[in-house]
Amino acid sequence: MMSERCEAPIALEALVAYWLGELAASAEEPIEEHLFRCASCVRRLEALAALGSGIRAAVRDGAVQALITPSFLELMQRQGMRIREYRVEAGATVACTIQADDDAVVGRMQVALAGVHRVDALHRLDLLDGRVREWRVDDVPFGPEARELLLLPSASMLKQLPAHALRVELVAVDDRAERSLGTYTFAHTPS
Amino acid sequence: MPDDVAGLDDAALARRVAAAGERIDSHAESELYRRLAPRVRLYGLRHLRDPHAAHDLMQQVLLMTLERLRAGKLREPERIGSFVLGMSRMVVLEIRRGTWRRETLLDTFGDMAEAVDAPEPLALDADKLAACLQALAERERTVVVLTFFADKAADEVAGELGLTAGNVRVIRHRAIARLRECMGGDPS
Repeated sequence: MMSERCEAPIALEALVAYWLGELAASAEEPIEEHLFRCASCVRRLEALAALGSGIRAAVRDGAVQALITPSFLELMQRQGMRIREYRVEAGATVACTIQADDDAVVGRMQVALAGVHRVDALHRLDLLDGRVREWRVDDVPFGPEARELLLLPSASMLKQLPAHALRVELVAVDDRAERSLGTYTFAHTPS
Repeated sequence: MPDDVAGLDDAALARRVAAAGERIDSHAESELYRRLAPRVRLYGLRHLRDPHAAHDLMQQVLLMTLERLRAGKLREPERIGSFVLGMSRMVVLEIRRGTWRRETLLDTFGDMAEAVDAPEPLALDADKLAACLQALAERERTVVVLTFFADKAADEVAGELGLTAGNVRVIRHRAIARLRECMGGDPS
């Protein structure tokens, strides 16, 4: 087998930018010329493409837990995913479930974010049998105009869980203190 | 893979295909096809964003390339990479314009496109990837999921999350490197 080592590999940042269509045509052309000559860089781009398709599949298969944006939710819906949504106000509890044929469940936590720069989310999962798990998610992302945070739990995991209560407290964090923005409880019953 | 072609570079393979002409050097043709297939497929995925269209592009472009090599129409076989890229660009442009007319090359090449052992697209271990995604920081996970599920460029992700495009690129780069490392690959 001939040697496939690349003497001048394309930087990962440039490969990612190329793959996502962020480059001007003048920057894209030399990258494509290189890729059509270089098996080594093609393998790296292939790995990146595989990562992208793996992430898409993970979202479609309900294997990802993340905080998402409204446009992301719209895209999931446009792609034909079956999504069950629960809107919950601060301080409220919402009864929720997931059906076998649901692709995703989204919790729409209504929150006033004006003037808030950083939000942390404190989770408390109570399995109602004495087992409780708590964890904190730092610095959750949200858009400048956001009036809600969208919680996308892992659908595949949710389908395996027994009845439980998930409480999420959102706290605004600044240099001096933390301030509660609201507590949201999802009372889950298996279908 | 036959030993007589394994050590040849792309240009040498192209010269062998051209020299054989209608006598057909099937070893050289198969090896050239196998090597060029991922490049054209990735080009197709990048520009057409559709795995089926990318596969179709790959098959058409490579069969057109072999046909031109056999016919002696490729003057500089050492520039085979540039030739295939040019062909890929032309076909993608015509597909976008709606003017692409498929050549009936499959008749000429019989079942070759199916018979050649073109590498399958890489597939990752889904459970491992899910665990690696979960191990990312929340902001990193949101950025890579927005980026790859929605095919969003850095400035679009930035607009949705109230960040700068530069900041998104930094987060994205770190997240991808962590994911690749977690999956057992080279983070670079």
